[in-house]
Amino acid sequence: MAAFLNSINYMGWVLPALLLIPIVGALAILVVPRAKIAPNADEIAAGTANGPRWIAFITLLVEAIVSLGLWWSFDPAVAAWQAVYDMPWIPNWGIRFTVGIDGISLMMILLTTIIMVLAVLGSWTGIRTRVRGYYALMLVLTSGMLGVFMSLDLFLFYVMWEVMLVPMYFIIGIWGGDRRIYASVKFFIYTMVGSMLMLAAIVYLGLHAADATTNIPNFGYDAVLNTARVSPQASLWLFGAFFLAFAVKVPMFPFHTWLPDAHVEAPTAGSVVLAAIMLKLGTFGFLRLAIPLFPAAAMRADVQAIVLGLAVIGIIYGALVSLVQPDFKKLVAYSSVSHLGFVMLGIFAVTVQSVQGALLVMINHGISTGALFLLIGMIYERRHTRMIDAYGGIARAVPLFAAVLTLVSLSSIGVPGTNGFIGEFLVLLGAFRTHPFLAVISATAVIFAAAYLLWAIQRILFNPLDKPENAHIPDLNKRELALLTPLIIGIIWLGVYPQPVLRRMETAATKFVERVESVTGRSTTRAAQGDR
Amino acid sequence: MQPLDLQVPRELMIALGPDLVLMGGAMILLIWAAWRPDSAAHQRAVALGSIIVAAATGVLVWMYLVKGYTATVGPVAVDNFRWMADLIILTGTIFAIALAREDNDRQGVGVAESHVLILLASAGMMLLVAARDLMILFIAVELMSIAVYALAGLNRRSARAAEGALKYFLLGAFSSAFLLYGIALLYGATGTVNLGEIAYRLLASGDVGTSPMFLAGIGLMLVGFGFKVAAVPFHMWAPDVYDGAPSPITAYMAATVKAAAFGAFLRVWIEAFPGAYDSWHTALSAVAIVTMIAGNAVGLAQKNLKRLLAYSSIGHAGYLLVAIASASLPGASAMLFYLFVYTLATFGAFAVIVAVSKKDSNVVMIEDLAGLWATRPWLAVSMAVIMLSLLGFPIFGGAGFVAKWYVLQVALQARLPQTLLAIVLVLTTVISAGYYLHVLVVMFMRSPADKANDAPPASPLTRLVLAVSVAGILILGVYPNWFQRVAAKGFPQVEEASIEGFQRMLERIGRR
Amino acid sequence: MLLSGVQEAAQHAAAGTAMDWLWLVPVLPLLGFVLNGAISLFTATKFGPADPSAAGHGHGHGADSHASDGHDHAHPEPHRLAWLSSIIGPGVLIAAFGVAVAVFMAYRAGAGEHGEPVVQNYFQWVVTGDLSISASLMIDQLSLVMLLVVTGVGALIHVFSVGYMREDPGYPRYFAYLNLFVFFMLVLVLGASYPVLFVGWEGVGLCSYLLIGFWFSEKANADAGKKAFIVNRIGDFGFLVAMFLLFSNLGSLDFTTLRSTAGTLQPGGVLVTTICLFLFLGCTGKSAQMPLYVWLPDAMAGPTPVSALIHAATMVTAGVYLIARSSFLFALSPVASLTVVVVGALTAVFAATIGLKQWDIKKVLAYSTVSQLGYMFIGVGVGAYAAGIFHLITHAFFKALLFLGSGSVIYAMHRAYHATHSHDDAQDMRNMGGLKKHMPWTFGLMWIATLAIAGVPVFSGFFSKDEILTSVFVRARESTLAEAHWFGIPGNVVLYVCYALGLAAALLTAIYMTRMMIYTFHGPNRSGEKERAHLAEAPWVMTGPLVVLGVLSALGGLLNLPAFIPVKSTAVLEHWLHPVVGESALQITNGAAPEISHSLEYTLVGIAVLIAALGIWFAFYRLKPEELVPKSQSKPEEGFDRVLEQKYFVDEGYARFIVNPTLTTSRNLLWRGIDVGLIDGLMVNGGAWTARAFGWLGSALQSGQVGTYAWVLVLGVLAVLGAVTLR
Repeated sequence: MAAFLNSINYMGWVLPALLLIPIVGALAILVVPRAKIAPNADEIAAGTANGPRWIAFITLLVEAIVSLGLWWSFDPAVAAWQAVYDMPWIPNWGIRFTVGIDGISLMMILLTTIIMVLAVLGSWTGIRTRVRGYYALMLVLTSGMLGVFMSLDLFLFYVMWEVMLVPMYFIIGIWGGDRRIYASVKFFIYTMVGSMLMLAAIVYLGLHAADATTNIPNFGYDAVLNTARVSPQASLWLFGAFFLAFAVKVPMFPFHTWLPDAHVEAPTAGSVVLAAIMLKLGTFGFLRLAIPLFPAAAMRADVQAIVLGLAVIGIIYGALVSLVQPDFKKLVAYSSVSHLGFVMLGIFAVTVQSVQGALLVMINHGISTGALFLLIGMIYERRHTRMIDAYGGIARAVPLFAAVLTLVSLSSIGVPGTNGFIGEFLVLLGAFRTHPFLAVISATAVIFAAAYLLWAIQRILFNPLDKPENAHIPDLNKRELALLTPLIIGIIWLGVYPQPVLRRMETAATKFVERVESVTGRSTTRAAQGDR
Repeated sequence: MQPLDLQVPRELMIALGPDLVLMGGAMILLIWAAWRPDSAAHQRAVALGSIIVAAATGVLVWMYLVKGYTATVGPVAVDNFRWMADLIILTGTIFAIALAREDNDRQGVGVAESHVLILLASAGMMLLVAARDLMILFIAVELMSIAVYALAGLNRRSARAAEGALKYFLLGAFSSAFLLYGIALLYGATGTVNLGEIAYRLLASGDVGTSPMFLAGIGLMLVGFGFKVAAVPFHMWAPDVYDGAPSPITAYMAATVKAAAFGAFLRVWIEAFPGAYDSWHTALSAVAIVTMIAGNAVGLAQKNLKRLLAYSSIGHAGYLLVAIASASLPGASAMLFYLFVYTLATFGAFAVIVAVSKKDSNVVMIEDLAGLWATRPWLAVSMAVIMLSLLGFPIFGGAGFVAKWYVLQVALQARLPQTLLAIVLVLTTVISAGYYLHVLVVMFMRSPADKANDAPPASPLTRLVLAVSVAGILILGVYPNWFQRVAAKGFPQVEEASIEGFQRMLERIGRR
Repeated sequence: MLLSGVQEAAQHAAAGTAMDWLWLVPVLPLLGFVLNGAISLFTATKFGPADPSAAGHGHGHGADSHASDGHDHAHPEPHRLAWLSSIIGPGVLIAAFGVAVAVFMAYRAGAGEHGEPVVQNYFQWVVTGDLSISASLMIDQLSLVMLLVVTGVGALIHVFSVGYMREDPGYPRYFAYLNLFVFFMLVLVLGASYPVLFVGWEGVGLCSYLLIGFWFSEKANADAGKKAFIVNRIGDFGFLVAMFLLFSNLGSLDFTTLRSTAGTLQPGGVLVTTICLFLFLGCTGKSAQMPLYVWLPDAMAGPTPVSALIHAATMVTAGVYLIARSSFLFALSPVASLTVVVVGALTAVFAATIGLKQWDIKKVLAYSTVSQLGYMFIGVGVGAYAAGIFHLITHAFFKALLFLGSGSVIYAMHRAYHATHSHDDAQDMRNMGGLKKHMPWTFGLMWIATLAIAGVPVFSGFFSKDEILTSVFVRARESTLAEAHWFGIPGNVVLYVCYALGLAAALLTAIYMTRMMIYTFHGPNRSGEKERAHLAEAPWVMTGPLVVLGVLSALGGLLNLPAFIPVKSTAVLEHWLHPVVGESALQITNGAAPEISHSLEYTLVGIAVLIAALGIWFAFYRLKPEELVPKSQSKPEEGFDRVLEQKYFVDEGYARFIVNPTLTTSRNLLWRGIDVGLIDGLMVNGGAWTARAFGWLGSALQSGQVGTYAWVLVLGVLAVLGAVTLR
C-alpha cells in the first residue's frame, strides 16, 4: 500500500486535495438545475432522488477514500511534519499557505472525513428544503474543519477557524428546530468572542517572530514556536487569548452554554458534526497552539489550578446536569461537556498516558456521541419528539435500534471492551501521576455516566410499552444500519485493539509532553523514549 | 526625474492636472445638463457623461501614479498617497453616479445636474487629499461640503431629505467654524499654515508644541475632522442625514466623503503633528475608542437598514482612527487599503438597498429583506458577502478581513504599539457581529413577508456595481497581494522635520 | 503482533500441550454469544422503510411478534430458531469445560504441583509511554480452580436453562447474554493483569445488567438491572483508583511483575493499605458486601438460572477471587485485612437476619448468598485464602443447587397457575407448601443443599465453613492481624468478635434455610385446589443438573478435608493453592503454619455442629406451616418483623439521603440555577442585553433635534480640548 502511494507521490498533494475536493463538490452542487433539487416524497422513499445529496455523498466518499491513504503512508516514527505542502500567500506579511500533519492531526483528519460521509447519509431523508444550499454548506464546512487540523501557518489557521463557523451558523439557523435563530446567533457570537482575541494574539505573535533584517512578520507555526520572543507577562495574556478562543469551542465550563442550544436546535447532521468534530477543534487548539506556544504560562501554578479546576468541574457538572435532562438530545449535549472535561484534564496533566488518553477520548467521543446523535435523529424522524418521556419500552418495537443504541451508550459510558474505556482509563491513569486528587474526583464520573445514560435508555427502550403511538415505530432501515455500521466497528475495534491508533499518535504526544516538560523540568517521558 | 517646482505656475498646473481635468469636465457637463429640459433620457446621458469624465480623470491619475511625480514643498502634495486617495474617491464617484442614475428613476428625481454635483464634490475631495496647506484644505472642505449639502437635499419632495440636508448644513457650518478656528490658532502658534512648515516650527522651538494656543488648535482641528468622518461624539448628524438622503448619495457620503476626509486627516496628522504625538494621542485614542464602542453598540438597536449602515460606518471610522493613532507611514497604507475595501462594501450594500427599495420611497427597513434568499437569492448572497466583509470575516467576507488585519498589524507594529486600541477594535467587532448577523438572519432564516415585494428588478448598471464590488471583495480576500503591494507605497511625502520631531518626542516620553 | 505473542507463549514449559488451547476457553462462549445474538437480532428485525418520516404509523409490523414479555405473559410463542440456540448455548459451554479440563491436566502434567504461573501473551492491548498492557491470559493454580468452577457449574446451569427458558420468546437473546457472561467471567479469572481482569470484571457486571433486565418490559426488572450496574460502578471506581495507585507507585499492572515488586512497599504502610481498601471497595460492589449489597436482592428479578449462575455461583464471588489474587498486597496490610474481616462478618449476620423474614423464595436465597459471601470474606480477610476459595467452591455447588431447585419449584408453580390462568405470585412461599409429594426429587436435593449450607457434618458446606471459623479463631490467637490495631481496637479482640458473629450467622443460616424448606415443601399445600392438580416435577433436562449438583454439594468437602480427619490426602485444595496464596498466608501467620491442638479443634467443630443442629431444631420447633395463609390473605407484619421484612429500610434510606438529593440539586441548583440562570441568563444574555440597552440609549439620544446634537457636539469639543490641553 505505502509503496503504491509513494509511486503516485501521494504525500505531495494529498492535503491540498483534501481541501479542494469538497469545494469542487460544492460548486458542482450549485450548478445542479433547480428542477432536480427537491426530490418528491416517493423519490426519497425509493432513495433514487438524484441531485445535491448524491453529489455531496459521492464527493465526501471520494474525500474519505483519498484521506484513508494517510493511514498507511504516515510514518509513526517521524517526529517532523509529514505530507507538508507549502507555498507563499501574502509574502509582504510573511503569510504562507503551509499545511502538514503529525499523528494528532492525522487521526483528527480521518475522523472528520469519515464522520462527514455518515453525516450526509444521516440527513438523507431528514433534509427536505433547500437541499442544494444545505449540502453545499456541508461540503464547505468539511474543508474548513480539515483546514484547521492541517494548517501550519497561524494566519491560515485563523482563517480556517472562522471559515468553518459560517456554514455551521447557516446549517443551524436555516434547517434547525424552533429556537434555531437564537441558537445559531448564540453559537456564532459566543465563538467569535473567543476567536477575535485570538486574532489579536496571532498578529502580535507574528510580529514578534519577524525577520530581524527585513522586519517582515512571520506567521509560520514553527517560526513562531521557535523564534517568537515575548515577555512572560505578555505570554500570559496571549495564552489567555488563545485559552478563551479554545475554551469556548471545547466547551469548558463555564463557557459551555452555547452547546446545549446549538446541539438541540441543529439538524441531526449539524449536531453530529458539532459533537464529533467541532468540539475537538478546541482541544486540538490547546494541543497545537495554546500550550506548545506558551508552556511556561500554561504550566504556571495558578493557571494550572484554574484550568484543571474547570476541567474537573466540567466533568462532574456536565454529568450531573445531563442526569436530569428531559430532552435526550440535551442530555447527550451536556454529557459532551463531561467527556471534553476528561480531554482537558488529560491535556493539562501532561503525561504521555494522559495526553494519549485525551486524544483517544477525542476520537471516541467523536464516534460514540456522533452515533448517539445519529440515533436520536433517526428516532426523531419517526416520532418527531426528543422528549425521553414520550418513549418507553420501544425495544419491543425496534429491536435493532435498541441493540445499537445500547451498544453506543455502553461505549459512551466507557465499558471495557468498547472504545470509551481505554480513553478515560489512560487519561485518569496519566493524570493520577501528576494530579492524583483531581484524577480521583474525576474518576467518580464513571458512576454518574452510567447513571444518566442507563436511566435514559431505560426510559426510552425498556419499561412497559405503554404508549400506543410507539407500538408501531418502524425499525432501522438498511441505509441507517449501513451508516451506523462503521461506527459500531470503530467502537469495538478501538476497544479491543487500539494499539495501531496509539502508535500513530505516540510520537506527537511525546513531543508535546517533552516541549512542556522542557520548561517545567518534570519528566515522565524518559521511559517512553526508552522503549520506543 | 527632478521634483516639480510648485513655485512655477506651469509645474503647479501639472501637479493639479487631474483636478483641473475633473473640474473642467464638470463645468462642461453642467452647461450641457442645464441646456436641455429635464428628462429621464437626458438625465441618463448626463450620468453617462459624468461617469466618463470621472473615469478619464481616473486614468490620468493612474498615469501620474505610474510616472511617480514628486514635488518640492508647496501648497499641494504630489505623492502616491494623493493619487491612491484620488483613485478611491473616483471609484466611489463612478459607483455613486451609476446608482444615482437608477435611484433617480425610482424616486422620480429628474435633475440631471445631480450627477455633476457629485463630480464637483469629488473635485473638492481630490483637492482635499492633495492639500498640504491648511487654507487650501479649508477651501477644499467647503467646496466638497457645499456640493454634498445640495446632494443631501436633492429630493425636494421628501421632507426627510430636506430635514437631513438642513441638519447636515447647520452642523456642518458649526464644524467648519471649529476647523477654521483651529487653523487660525495653529497659524497664531506657529506662524504658518503649511504642514511641512508647522513640523519645522515644532522641531525648532520646543515650547511651540506645548503652547496652549497650539494645543487648542490641534484640538479644534480634531473636532473638525471628527465631524467630517462622523466620529463619536461628532457623529450625530450622520444617521439622520444618511437616512434622509437618496440611497446613492448616502453611500457617497458614507464611503467617499469619509475617505477624502480621512485622507486629509491623516495627512495633516502625519505631516504636521508627529512631534506633538504625546499631546494629541490621548484625545485621539479616546475618540477612537468611544467611536468604536458607541457606533457598534448603537447599531444593535437599528431597524432601518440605512441607519444601521450609518452606525456601521461610524464604527468603521473608529477602526480607521486606530490607523491614524498609530502615527506611522504603514498606517497610511493600511488606511488606503481599508478605505478602498470599505468603499466597495458600502456601495455594494447600497446597491442592494437601491435594488430592493420600492418606487417613491427610499426607506428600507431590515424586515423588508425577510426571506430575500427565497425571492432573490443572488441579491441575498451578495448582501451576505458584504455584511460579512463589513464584519471583517475571512474568505466569506473577503477583503474586509484582510483590511482589518492590515490595520491591526500596523497598530501593533507601530513604534508605539496601540495594544489597547487593537483590543478594543477586536472586541467591538464582536458587538458589530450582533447587527450584521441580524441582517443575515432576516434574509436567510425568516420566511418572506406574505405581501409580495413590489420592488422592480435592478437595472444592469446597478447589478454591475454590485457584481464588481462583491467580486472585488472576494478576490481581494483571497489574493490581496497586488493591491497590498501598491498600497504599501501609498504614504504621504513627509518632511525630515516630521520624522525628526517624532524621534524627539520618543526621547521625550522616554525621559518621562 | 499476534504471532509474536504466540511465539512468546510457545516458550513456556508446557508448550505444545493443551495449554496452547487456553484461548479457546473464553473464545468458545464468545462465539456462542455472536451466533445466538445474530439469531435473536436478525430473526426479530424487520427493516424500516427507506424514508422513515414518510412512513406513517400504524402499518408497521406488530410489536408483539417479538415481544420479550415475562413469564406472566399470556401466550408467548417460542422462538422459531429455539432449537438452534439450545444446541449452541450449552454446547459451547460443555466444549469450554472440556478444554478447561484438558488445560488442567496439561498444567498438572507439565508445570506440576508447585508450577510457576504460565502467561500467554496474545497481542499488545494498550502500550504508550512507560505503560504496557498486553492482552494476555494467565494460568496458575488459583485461576485453574476458578476456571473449572465457572465452566463446570456454568455448563450445568446452561443445560438447566434449556428447560427453564424454552418457552420464552427471547430464548436466543437469553443464551447470547448468558454466553457473553461466561466469556467475561473467564476473562476475569484468566486475566494476567489488573486491567484485563477489570475488563472481565465490568463485563460480567454488564451481562448481569442485561440479564436482570431480561424481561425489560416490567419497570421493576429494568430498574433492578440499572441499580445493579450503577452500584457496581461505585465499586469499580474503587478498583480503578487502586490500579492508578499501583501503576504510579510500582510502574506496572500485571500480576507477575507486581508480585515481585510488591515487596518494595512498606508493610502495614499507608500506601498499601489505601490500595487494598480501594480494591476492597471494588469487592464490596461486585460481591454485594455492606454497604453496597443492596443490588443483589433486587437482582433476583432476572430469570432464576441467571440468579444461580451469576448471582450465586460465579460473578458475585469475583470479589473473593480478587482478594485471593491480590493476597500479596493484603498480606502486607493487616488493617485492610481486618476491614475485610469486619465487613464480611457484619454482612454475614446482617443479611442473615433479613433472610429470616423474606417470603419470596428467591429473596431468601439472595440474602443467604450475601451472608455466605460475608463468610468468604472473613476467610480471605484473615488470610485463610484457601479456606475462602474452598467455601467459594462449595457455595457454588450448594447455592447453585438451591437456586436451580427453587427454579424448578417456581417453574412448577408457574405452570400450575398458567394452566388455571391464575395470576398469583409463583415465588411467594406462602402460596406453596407441601410440595414434597409433588416434586420429590427437587425436595430431596434441596434438603442436601440446605444441610450443606447449614453446616451439617459430612456435607460440603460443613468443612468449608468450619475451616473459615477455625482459622479466624486461630488467627485471633497469633497473627499479624492480632497484633495490629483496627481503629484503636486491638486486632485479636476484633477477630474474636468476628468469630462470634460468624457463629451467630451460622445459627441464623440454619434457621432461615430450614424455614424456607418447611414452608416450601412441608405442611399443607396452599396453592389452591385447581392448581394442585397441575403441580409436578420439572423435566429431566432440569432435574438432571440438580442431581449432579446434589452429588457435588454432598461430597464437595473431599476437596479439602481438615487435618484431624484420619485420611491420607487432607487439605488437597490448600496444597494445590499454596504456590499462589501460601506465601501470603504464612506472612500473616508470622511464617508459621497455624498449629492447634486436636482437642481445641474438636471443641470448635463441636460448637459449629451444635449451632447448626440448634438452628434446625429451633426452626422445626417454632414454625407452624399449617397456620400459614396464602399471600393474598396474609396480613402485614408488625414491629421488628416488619423492619426485617422491609430489609431495615436501607433502600428507602439510600433513596432519600443520596439519590433524591443528587437529582434535586442537579435539577434545581446546577441546571436551572447555575446553567440557565446564572451563566446563560445573567452573563451571556445579560451581556447581550447590556450592549443592546446601550444601543437604545444611543438611539434615544438621536432625537432628531439639532439643539441636542449641538449640545453633544459642544460637550465633545470641551472633552477633546480638555484631553489635549489640561495634562
